[in-house]
Amino acid sequence: MKISVNWLKDYVTTKISPAALARELTMAGHEVEAILSTKDDDVFEMEITPNRPDCLNMLGVARETAAVLGAPRTFPKIKKRTWPRRGCHIEISDPQACSRYIATLIQDVKIQGSEAGMMKRLTAIGMRPINNVVDVTNFCLMETGQPMHAFDYDKLCGGKIIVRRARQGEKIVTIDGVERSLDPSILIIADAKQPVAIAGVMGGKNTEVTERTKNILLESAYFDPIIIRRASRKLGLSSDSSYRFERGVDDGTVQTGADRAIDLILRAAQGKIIGRSDMRTKSKKGPGRAIVVSQGWINARIGASLTAAKCLDILKKLDFGVTRGKKDILKIRPPSFRNDVKGAEDIVEEIARISGYDSLPGTFPQIKVSAISSDPVRRARQTIETLFLAQGFNQIITYTMISRKNLEMSGQERLPAVALINPLTQDQEVMRPSMLPGFLSVALSNVNKGQKNFRVFETGKIYGMGGEKETVGVMIVGRRTDDWRLEKKEEADFYDLKGVLEQMLARLQIDNSKVEFQPAETDFFEEGQSAAILINGKTAGVAGKLESGILDRWDIKQKNVLFAQVDMEEIFRRESSPRKYVPVQEFPAISRDISLAVPPTVLARDIEREIRQAINAQKDIVLMQTKFVEKYEGDKIPQGYRGMVFSLTYGARAARTLRDEEVAEVHKNVCATLIKKLGVVQR
Amino acid sequence: MNFDYDSEQQEGQQKIAAVADLKGLEEIRVEYLGKKGKIAAMYAALAGLPDDRKPQEGKKINEFRSHIFHLIEDKRNSLVDKKRQEKKETIDVTIPGVSAPVGHKHILMQTIDEICAIFEGLGFAVQEGPEVETEFNNFTALNIPADHPSRDGFDTFYLKRPDPDGEKGNLLLRSHTSPAQIRIMQAHKPPLAVVVPGKVYRPDAVDASHSFMFHQIEGLLVDENVRFSDLKGLLEVFLKKLFGENIKMRLRPHFFPFTEPSAEVDISCYICDGKGCSVCGKKGWLEIMGCGMVHPKVFEAVGYPKGKYTGLAFGLGVERMTMLKHGIRDIRLFFENDMRFLEQF
Repeated sequence: MKISVNWLKDYVTTKISPAALARELTMAGHEVEAILSTKDDDVFEMEITPNRPDCLNMLGVARETAAVLGAPRTFPKIKKRTWPRRGCHIEISDPQACSRYIATLIQDVKIQGSEAGMMKRLTAIGMRPINNVVDVTNFCLMETGQPMHAFDYDKLCGGKIIVRRARQGEKIVTIDGVERSLDPSILIIADAKQPVAIAGVMGGKNTEVTERTKNILLESAYFDPIIIRRASRKLGLSSDSSYRFERGVDDGTVQTGADRAIDLILRAAQGKIIGRSDMRTKSKKGPGRAIVVSQGWINARIGASLTAAKCLDILKKLDFGVTRGKKDILKIRPPSFRNDVKGAEDIVEEIARISGYDSLPGTFPQIKVSAISSDPVRRARQTIETLFLAQGFNQIITYTMISRKNLEMSGQERLPAVALINPLTQDQEVMRPSMLPGFLSVALSNVNKGQKNFRVFETGKIYGMGGEKETVGVMIVGRRTDDWRLEKKEEADFYDLKGVLEQMLARLQIDNSKVEFQPAETDFFEEGQSAAILINGKTAGVAGKLESGILDRWDIKQKNVLFAQVDMEEIFRRESSPRKYVPVQEFPAISRDISLAVPPTVLARDIEREIRQAINAQKDIVLMQTKFVEKYEGDKIPQGYRGMVFSLTYGARAARTLRDEEVAEVHKNVCATLIKKLGVVQR
Repeated sequence: MNFDYDSEQQEGQQKIAAVADLKGLEEIRVEYLGKKGKIAAMYAALAGLPDDRKPQEGKKINEFRSHIFHLIEDKRNSLVDKKRQEKKETIDVTIPGVSAPVGHKHILMQTIDEICAIFEGLGFAVQEGPEVETEFNNFTALNIPADHPSRDGFDTFYLKRPDPDGEKGNLLLRSHTSPAQIRIMQAHKPPLAVVVPGKVYRPDAVDASHSFMFHQIEGLLVDENVRFSDLKGLLEVFLKKLFGENIKMRLRPHFFPFTEPSAEVDISCYICDGKGCSVCGKKGWLEIMGCGMVHPKVFEAVGYPKGKYTGLAFGLGVERMTMLKHGIRDIRLFFENDMRFLEQF
């Protein structure tokens, strides 16, 4: 809201500089965001918080200013009048929406331009002068906060005012010249025939005051904030009036605002009062219950030792009614315009605010030991973050809202995605059901900017019909290593990806034997180059080399892109238990290699399983480790077969040194079993 | 007995000069200087001499020994040098080193970790909450009624998924981390001290300082007799730990529906030291977080007994903090994930 400093000084006597005044108001909770200085005035751009509609006008700001500065204030005197009974006919068909309507009739007004002083005030705060009557309503709105509207009385059909809901299909042309369609959610002012104003929002063109107007009806009313807010939103039409009604106009200024306007209209446009009709649909609000607090309680809340006299003084300056009770009890009645003050804590704020937060002491709170400990999910997440960082992965954060188009381009259009009701743009229409589109965007932008080799991970969430799930995404783009000593720069492959995933799960104490990488085909991976990741037999993720068609569709110029995504929801929530110490083998173990030609149907996993089973059946010897040593292909092995070398480490079951002969025997049996069961060829 | 020291010396000298490797030299050393070597034998023979000749002979042996010793040492040095020169392999120590690659934690996560660590050090626990929230947790319980202007500051994304808790309306993406307060208070009784980092969402058109997705950290301390002065003192300690001892802090009265009194927190602009610059908009102060004393209505919503507890709460924008701290001028950089950006931190 704009506030003219000159105008403000009509009500507050002070010599303070505009800059200092701005600081004082800011520190009292009314932030002056900018000062626009001209030759003869300074205008504040102020942020009035939604709880303080009483400050959306000059008198409200003047009251705060006077309280903060301790300066005297002079509010306009309103002439006392007795009102002839003869008013107009008012009918309020929706009493919930309009609790009071005052219509004042003035005859024989002389419509012309306003006097210079009035125009200066209005133009200073960015309002366009129209004519002497309209300007008065605007001036009074800005001065008192009471929205008012002047109708050309002769154009009101039947001389009637009806406050009612609009009928479906009714239309009105508002004073801005726009025709607007109305419906029953919108409250209107109508004459005997048609709508003449959108209540609390804007008047109609057909009854506006022009230079030909002779007789006027001045409306001053109270409209329900929620109804005005909905109408304003629905019509996409906000005005100085609707802004104030939405936030709540003071019940008390419906009349005083009208009285002030009458004084000014009579002065500016002569005219004669015919009469006034004042219709209430609710009985006058009595004084609310007093807020009773003790001075000691206030001080305990603030952590200060203010005197009762000081508190009393502050509250009185803000027009609160205060009486002192027994001991240090204060009985406080907030003024009618302070609907925001409902309880004792609001009193605390008033006192703290006007005392100045700066002047109050700071203490360090006692922070007691509580039963809540830090979230274990967060700790688990950090554990794997550390691992990825140590493996050279940069952490990324991608948008969790994505477009359906990007899902489709990633071959994931079939994933069910939760849609937004009110997306900003189509780029963010659904919550991501997968991290892949986000990772592809990152790959695209980096590769296009010349960064062709990198590895990234994200620890975030994906979203489905069942809610949000902790997820890890991993991507390796381009080469494996960046080592100038290597003659050949090697491209990263599936095993680089698998290695880090195995490490990740091991870090979280997911035993190797519980994790399985199973050959699986997925649309977005190259055929034969991807796996499903099973944990405890349940699919938890996928890993593989992205299909070149998808990379083409994204226009990613680097073709070696590996991606994995793992559902961590359950894994992160697992209770971790301390690792159990396993005694270090004191007697030397014996290792033996086994070199096999493996038929295409047999996987490394099958061989390891058979080895394990064969040795587990032994009485005296245990398998301490199976290590995959080498994979090779070539003319030395049968067509279609793959060469594999495993190194087996044997130990004795009892605490003793193994003899070479017994190992040789077992090893021979293992080989025989593999040949028999899997059809491998020993080499 | 008589030794011809001159010829012995000559002989030794020749042998030493002739030897070509360290092994041969060691043999010569043992021959002369070893426990059973020539010089040891000379000292032994000394005992059989008449007393008057002993000093003279002894001196000669000493000289001989010293001479041989030095010849051997010199020779050793020259052989070592020679060997070193033969083996010469000079590396270029200015070629860049090679290390296992090290990744970079996202700068926003670094900020979150840093802030959470400060509060953990002060006795707070770090908790998290879901991003998909109910109308009740995001608004109603936080004293933000429907159709109220106080909602204007919290424009919100709604999901096409009905709220399963039966409350009318749909689920939404939390527009602030404050709903986590509600969950935590519903689950725990005071005393409690928590901070909650996480993603939040608001339908703001994207520009250099707005993003529809961003991060906040929420703080909550509830106990009997928490005072406004505690809020002030706590935040001052926190901000000094984060931005340095020299910054100044001020609380400015403000409005949040879920706190009363409420305040915005400014710190003196550390770029211009409060004098006014483009970063602080010539104000000398930077708005950095919001805070206040928990509104009794919030305690009421979570079912705490009336009047028993008081609390303080605060919230801050992680992107804004990070941008101020590191001089980043465009919020979009955080989510573009350009390696050249990520690897700066």
